Amino acid sequence: MNEPVERTATPPGGAPPVRAEEPRVSPQGPNTETGRSPEVALFEEMVTTHLDALYRTALRLTGRPQDAEDLVQETYLRAWRSLHTYKPGTNPKAWLFRILHNARIDRYRASTRAVQTVDEIEGQDPAFVVNETPESLVLAGVMEPEVRQALMELPEVFRSCVILADLEGFSYQEIADILGIPRGTVMSRLFRGRRGMRKALAAYGRDHGYVKAN
Amino acid sequence: MNCQEALEKLWQYLDRELDGESSVQLQRHLQHCRECFSKAEFECRLRALLRRSCGCDQAPPELRERLSRLLRMF
Repeated sequence: MNEPVERTATPPGGAPPVRAEEPRVSPQGPNTETGRSPEVALFEEMVTTHLDALYRTALRLTGRPQDAEDLVQETYLRAWRSLHTYKPGTNPKAWLFRILHNARIDRYRASTRAVQTVDEIEGQDPAFVVNETPESLVLAGVMEPEVRQALMELPEVFRSCVILADLEGFSYQEIADILGIPRGTVMSRLFRGRRGMRKALAAYGRDHGYVKAN
Repeated sequence: MNCQEALEKLWQYLDRELDGESSVQLQRHLQHCRECFSKAEFECRLRALLRRSCGCDQAPPELRERLSRLLRMF
């Protein structure tokens, strides 16, 4: 939690300043009081508000409901343990998403599966030009399952940027903070992710006769 | 602003990340250039489609329940 506001009313006689009563912080052990501490209340509100967003993001990252639930639970526990790092007034959703991202990374590390390095995937920075011919892609013919599939087929480094920007509405800077990468890298990954999705959807449209082959 | 410049900045514009002056210039370009306008419109429609397709999942009630139980232990 943040530093409590110090009410430094020095009583006459020069007694040391009286520190305002600190909120009760008890991450260990059950809450034995009848009322909930301010921390629990704050935490509960934060998590309840953003639970759906955390879950659907976890689902799009992991691809499996069970893994998504585990990831959200892990995020929840970590968020509780590190509640003191949340700065009031900052975006609580971004703070929770950063924790989710770190939990996801740690799981990757823990698994023995080889992860393709970002350099391998990213290669050179692209010019951010939207130069496909999207008019030819008839979106009316593309169904939601195809869109979901196109998103899921993106490498995770790009997918996570597309999810955070297009589904969750975070700004470039917020995404940079969540993922711990520079803002320019966010733009580059977002660009590649979006382009990848468009290519996949165009290919789908071609296969199903919605788009004329060039 | 020409088409090349407009398309370079289109996503930043749609993401509301473009500074004020460039944003005004791009907007002006889109008002006059049918081709770029249709690209911008397409991007907006695609984003809306993506949101419809992937942005509506809700956490399962069991998960919500499990997390509430955990919270009572804090």
